[in-house]
Amino acid sequence: MGVASLASTIFDREPSVIGRWLLLLCLTLLGAGCASKQVVVEGKFPSPLLDPLPVTMGVIYPSAFAQHEFFDEAKGRAESDWLVKTGEAQVEFWDILLTGLFDEVVHIRDWETVQARSRDIDGVLIPAIAELQYTIPTHTNVKVYEIWMRYEFRLVDIGAIHQQEDGALSFNPEERIAQWPITAYGKTPTAFLQSDEEAVNLAAVVALRDAGAHFITTFGRTPDVAAWLNDIANRAATEAGGDSPVARQPESQAAAASISESEHTPPADASSAGTSSVSVADTPVDTSPIAKPDEAAGKPKVAGDESSETDSAGSVADVEASS
Amino acid sequence: MNFSELVSRVSKSLSLGLLIVALGGCVSATVDEMTYNEPVAGIGESSVVILGRRHAPDYDTEFDFIECIGDHIHSGDPSIEVINEIAFINEFYPWFEPRTAPMQPQTIDRLLQLPPVADRFAEMKLEYMIWIDGKTIDTDSTGSMSCGIGPGVAGCFGFGTWGTESEYEATIWDFTDKVEVGRVSAATSGQNYMPAVVVPIPILAPVQGTACDSLGDQLLEYLSANH
Repeated sequence: MGVASLASTIFDREPSVIGRWLLLLCLTLLGAGCASKQVVVEGKFPSPLLDPLPVTMGVIYPSAFAQHEFFDEAKGRAESDWLVKTGEAQVEFWDILLTGLFDEVVHIRDWETVQARSRDIDGVLIPAIAELQYTIPTHTNVKVYEIWMRYEFRLVDIGAIHQQEDGALSFNPEERIAQWPITAYGKTPTAFLQSDEEAVNLAAVVALRDAGAHFITTFGRTPDVAAWLNDIANRAATEAGGDSPVARQPESQAAAASISESEHTPPADASSAGTSSVSVADTPVDTSPIAKPDEAAGKPKVAGDESSETDSAGSVADVEASS
Repeated sequence: MNFSELVSRVSKSLSLGLLIVALGGCVSATVDEMTYNEPVAGIGESSVVILGRRHAPDYDTEFDFIECIGDHIHSGDPSIEVINEIAFINEFYPWFEPRTAPMQPQTIDRLLQLPPVADRFAEMKLEYMIWIDGKTIDTDSTGSMSCGIGPGVAGCFGFGTWGTESEYEATIWDFTDKVEVGRVSAATSGQNYMPAVVVPIPILAPVQGTACDSLGDQLLEYLSANH
């Protein structure tokens, strides 16, 4: 007796109907192994526990950052396509972190903000995700999910921000105050009743937290940033005729941070653990056009950067440079 | 097969099952302790925080294990306030992340140079910080099991067994004097079984639970005046 006819007897249906159901079921089960998996990273992020620096910091989140996602195409039938959207979580996390780190944070989304706040903004921070790698247990046979990210932070003077003819904001790369990389690593072990998606989300949240810890502990120690902070401190001291807390603050943060950074630092490169590489299109280091005034709030679009779309080939999209 | 043969086979199977159950309950545990400056009168109104080490590349000390030890201590002596690990890490972000967590008690002094951190510690009346480092892993497995499914019929047949090992070390820091005042370690192991006749029946050795109880008992003995 065929399976379809046996089932038709049990379920009191025509064999042909049952056969179609079974065929559909088989195809579903076959397809389940190579179905794509999608994660929109979500998490609750704490505010940093520190005295904020007396600095008014402008922040621009390029669209490739605010809408960041990475896509990894399955390399075999046993694997799944992966689409992980980190953009919203990135913006939420860095907003909380920067708000705790600086006295005031100004989101620069258009030229009007630049003009209106140019007098009191001390500097403009532009984050970018330069590289992202991830592993899941099926890649490595190690029961750990990992995410590794490399950010490129650029600090520019507000005077270096210009408006292009099409309304997009840009800056001259040569006018930047500082540029430095921040690496971040997050891992989470396999757990009973935890899906791949939940584990990848958790690893991404851990990586974001690590990025924040790395940023806070190295911000004041980055030579160009330290010099910039000293300038602000000297300016404030001259105006106030006394010592400013600006210069002291990074030192106290670095004092606490240097304890652990020197003692143990998470792997600087996840490839040491056999991580498969997925490069993500994002604003490269010398990207200069930044934002158009007509973009949605919080997500300024990088001119020439339509690269928030995924890049399964692992290439880094070039973005046109200004001036 | 007559009735007596059937009864004999069933009784043999039951005996085997009982033997497996008895074996499944077996967990061996080794506990080492080396502590100094025990608070003879207990810790009073001060609090304790238990934190897991998570900087190793290949494992994390499990959050639920840390919670288990905290619950064990608090249930053994309700007067001891054990601060929730995740709440603590969030309140002190980013100073207790894997990248930034202090590895030596002396380095806490540098953290206390940050006024908000010092104020938060003062509010908590923290007396002891206990770091737990370790993991539970499954070891070699043997046996085989096959499962099948058909219309209205599903089942498994076979037998599998695997080992589980736990190894944890607790390091106690006196937060007032910023010194290490003790180390307690627990190593446990056990064997798990999974017989399957139609339905798989997992017989799991409580290896991690035993490690939690062993470590929790030692820490309770150190911290509590009543033990």
